[in-house]
Order: sequence, then C-alpha cells, then structure tokens
Amino acid sequence: MPTEVVMTSKAVDRFVTRLIEEGPVMGPRERRKQPGFAKFDWIESADELMLQYTTTTVPPKKAFFPPRQPLFEFELTVPPKITPLEEATPFTLVGVHTCDLAGLNMLDDAYAKEPAEAVWPAARARARIIGVDCMPDEYCFCFDTCAGREGCDLFFTPIEHGYLVEVITEAGEDMLRLSDVSRAREDDLNDARNFAAEKGQRITAGIRSSAGDFADILEEGTFEDLWREIAERCYSCGSCNTTCPTCFCFDINDEFDLGLTAGRRVRTWDSCQLQEFALVAGGHNFRRIRWQRVRHRWHRKFLYLYREFDHPYCTGCGRCSRACTADINIVDVSNEIIERARGSEQS
Amino acid sequence: MARESAIPRFGHKPQVAFFDFACCEGCQLSVLQLEERLLEILEHVDVVTWREAMTEQSSEYDIAFCEGSITTEEDVERIKDIRAEAAVLVTLGSCASTSCHNELKNQWSMDEVLDVVYGDDAGQIHTIASRPISAVVEVDYQTFGCPVSLPEFVKVVSAILTGQSYEPPNEPVCVECKRNDYLCVYEKGEVCLGPVTRCGCDAICTGWGDACQGCRGLMDSANIGAMLKALTREEAHSIMRTVIDRHQLTEGEIAAKLRIYNNWPEFTLEEAETDDD
Repeated sequence: MPTEVVMTSKAVDRFVTRLIEEGPVMGPRERRKQPGFAKFDWIESADELMLQYTTTTVPPKKAFFPPRQPLFEFELTVPPKITPLEEATPFTLVGVHTCDLAGLNMLDDAYAKEPAEAVWPAARARARIIGVDCMPDEYCFCFDTCAGREGCDLFFTPIEHGYLVEVITEAGEDMLRLSDVSRAREDDLNDARNFAAEKGQRITAGIRSSAGDFADILEEGTFEDLWREIAERCYSCGSCNTTCPTCFCFDINDEFDLGLTAGRRVRTWDSCQLQEFALVAGGHNFRRIRWQRVRHRWHRKFLYLYREFDHPYCTGCGRCSRACTADINIVDVSNEIIERARGSEQS
Repeated sequence: MARESAIPRFGHKPQVAFFDFACCEGCQLSVLQLEERLLEILEHVDVVTWREAMTEQSSEYDIAFCEGSITTEEDVERIKDIRAEAAVLVTLGSCASTSCHNELKNQWSMDEVLDVVYGDDAGQIHTIASRPISAVVEVDYQTFGCPVSLPEFVKVVSAILTGQSYEPPNEPVCVECKRNDYLCVYEKGEVCLGPVTRCGCDAICTGWGDACQGCRGLMDSANIGAMLKALTREEAHSIMRTVIDRHQLTEGEIAAKLRIYNNWPEFTLEEAETDDD
C-alpha cells in the first residue's frame, strides 16, 4: 500500500457512509441555523460532513472530553452505590485541522503527567482520527503546527478532484479497506504541494519571537501596566479558555435528582479567567483581580507549560481571538509584550 | 436501602407558600410548567398558599417563594411579615432578585411617575423607588431570570431540601454558550449582553438564536466599561469590526441596553468598575 493515495469527492462520500455503518462518526457539520459555520457533531449521513470549513467555535477535544461530562451516578444507600459511566463504543473523528491535531497531542501529554487524568486516555483509545488540511483566516497563526500529521491515522489534502490521502498509521491503512482509492499521480501530488504552499502564504499573523525568547521575556518582565490596560477591556468571560484546544481545567460538581436519594457527579470545562476560578476554602482568591487573571493566561500558555513541555501550549488556531468580544487578540497582545520588552532593552 | 426523604431541617414535611409583589407573575407560571418535575417536588413539600395555582391559603408556612419587586410602602410591610413567618425565604426570578425592569421607573421622580400613570388618583398609591427584596429583608436563596430559569429553580429547591447553600453562578452567559457549542452572537454580527450577564439559564436565548438581553442581571464584577470600549473601538479585527460598523452604538444606546434589566442600583458607564481590585 503506497503512503499516498487519491480519493475522489464521491469516493469520500462512500467512505464516510461506510465509516458510519461501522460505528459513530464525529466531524464538522454545518450549523443548521447558521449556514457557512461548522461545529463538531455526530454525523448521521455523509452529506452532513463539511470537510472544508473554517475553524469551529469549540475544538474537537469535545469528542473525548465533552464540555459537560457525567463521571458516575450515585445512590445514597448505606454504603453508597456508585455506577461508573464509561462509554466504550469505538468511534471515528473526521476532519481535524492540523492545529487541532496538535491540540489533542498536547492534551495527551498534559493529562498523562502524574497524577494522570483517568478518563481522557480511554476516550482517546476508542477513536480513529482523520485529519484534513485547511486555509487559514485572519485569526489563524498556526506557525509550526500547520504542517503537522502526528495524532491522525489518515490525512486529507484537498486537490482538484477530491483529496490526496496520506496514510499515517496502520489503523489508517486498515480504514482504507472501506474506500475506493486510486494511485496518486504526479499532478495530484503537485496539487497538494500547492495547497500547502498557499496555506503557508496565507498565514500572515504571527508572534514575532521564538517560543523560548517569549518565555524568557514573560519571566523577566512584569508588564503590569499592559495587563491592567488589557484588563480594562476584558470581560473575564472565559471564552478564550472554553474555546481553547489546549486548555484542560475542569470543575466537578454533584447533582441531585429531585428524589434527593440519587444523582451524578459531573465535570464541566472551567476557565482561569472566571473570577471564582482561584477562590479557595476560607474565601481567599489568589487571582481575584482581573489583570492577574489576564497575565496568568499568557504565563500559562507561553511560560509555565513551555518550561514543562518544551513548547508553548498554543496551537495558533486563533479561537480565543475570534471568541473574544472585547477583541483582545492573542497575537497582538503577545507582540505588544515583545515590543515593550525589546523597547526597554534598548532604552 | 434508600433513605427516607424526610427533611431533617424542618422535622416535618415543609409547608411552602408563593407570594407575588410587583411583577407579571410569569415566574409562578413557569414553575407550574415544570409539570412532572413539580410532582416530584410535591413528594417532599406541601404547598399551602399559591394564589395562581390553588384556592386554599394558610398563614403558616416554612418556605416562602417571593416573586416581584418592592415598589410601595405596603410591599415593605408585607415582605417583612413574610420574612417573620418563613424559615426560608427565596426570591423567585429577577423582579424579586434584581428589581428587573421595574427599576426603569427609578429614572424619574416618584411624583412624576405617579402623575403619568395614575393622574388624579395618584394620592391613593404610596409608590417608592423599585428595589429587590434583598434591599428590604434578608434573603436565604435567590433565583434569577425573566421568567425564572427553571434549572436554577430546581437546583435551589434541591439545595433547600438537602440543607445546602446555593451560590448563584458568578459567571457570564458566554460560559454556557460555549459549553453548549453555540455560535457566538457577535460572530453573527449582533450585539449580546452575554459577556456581562449572570449565567444559570443554560444560555436559553442564544440557544434559540436570539441575543442575551441580560434578564438575569449583571454578574458580580461585570465589566460593563469593557462593553463601551468593545462596541466603540476604532481598530478591530473582522468579527468585532462588523458588529461595530453595523450597529454604530453610542454610549447612551449601550447604557440603555444595559439598563433594561440593570438599574438597581443606578449606574453610569463612566463610573463603571473597570477593574475589581
């Protein structure tokens, strides 16, 4: 089996239909009331899949960690009865952009660190993943994640009559038994190379510093004036976190049924920008002030986790900037920090 | 063995009363729309007074659900009497909890208000500036929404019956929009009060394609000054550029949008808290 094959658009439809026959498929589906916008959702039929789409509001991590996830059910008997809620069905996640593949890999690393998160790895093991290449918009700045293939089993690049399909893993090769593919010709490979080149050219936004230098800048400078300026505009709404493919914080709550003798423990996506995120027992809040929370986000993404994992916890997907209704843009702010640091070096 | 559902806090099946002050009584109607879930609640409590739902009344009760704002001197005395009788007092919906749009009248003097509405009969009405119930008596639990958010009402009932406190969520509607994976209202080119409004409604309006009008009131430390900055910025990226250009809101219009549900206490955008330190 060659590592690159061609699937025509019609063949993609048949392939997806067979995938759905085999098991659940999640992928980008056009929003019913908002044409042109996609969201990751369970796909019922191949025509629902919108393989060429601009970045979704919420990243595909929701396939493995839904925003609201019941962990177990309980009954207040003596002793209490606990029933774990473990999903076991294998599924296929289709249509993941390169930035989001990077995001999933980063969450793998973060959740694997001891004490390891218990639910994520099992959910990941249930899924096959098909990546797809995309064209960036003004919010995208996917720098070194833009050509990534790690984390998917097959990778699709749009070409004239369909897709060039790269076989990344054995699981990917196995999936091809469900498809009708033809050998990739030189024209097809050229098409794909041109697509990648155009993608590279279209990425105009970028952080004007190496990740290592940026971490040093954040560590050495205080930038309190800048954080306060941004905090004046920041709602602390948390949307930068709740749309982020690498944010991994969650909250856990018990919910009672109205019978008052049973319920479930549920975890939900949390955000360090919310005022009560750092509120602890006794009433102390160690990031009570808005600018401290704004600063924390940059330190978290570009300093603390950079030091821990050797790369920033940012994929350049631009979701936080799109979601920010105060128009606080992650690239603009990062470059402002870098400029101020370099300015103070020179003066 | 399942435990008995007796409520230790009261020592008996607690008696519940519903009361209304200045409001449309839509919150009580919403509670009736709980239907089967209401029957589950009635396993644990006896309703003894509920004018909108039954004929019987009682002057003795343990839990009082109070709807509506305090807008007359008679209201002040009546809510004090209810407070004296009830072991637990719950505000039902935004009129009771934030004064909701009843406080729109607070922009004028009470004499003017009386004259416009009642003319020659104004002397019979002892109107005062509209205020939430918590401005008059101590409140044990609060629920918000216009009408009241039913998921929150159910949570509060469950908290009362299990003897727990209930802290209203101090997060904006944006959090629930994202957890539901709704497309941002701003991304559709519209203005939404979600970023400053206390969530707990499960983003019901944005889920149905509308914008948040802010009916649950401002969350604590809501940065309303940020809204002025966001909607009048000169330089903006494409999503907010579209919103700013399409609506071209003035400071007065932004303030008016916020005031529909949030005028107790009165605020101005210039005085808005921009940082919570």
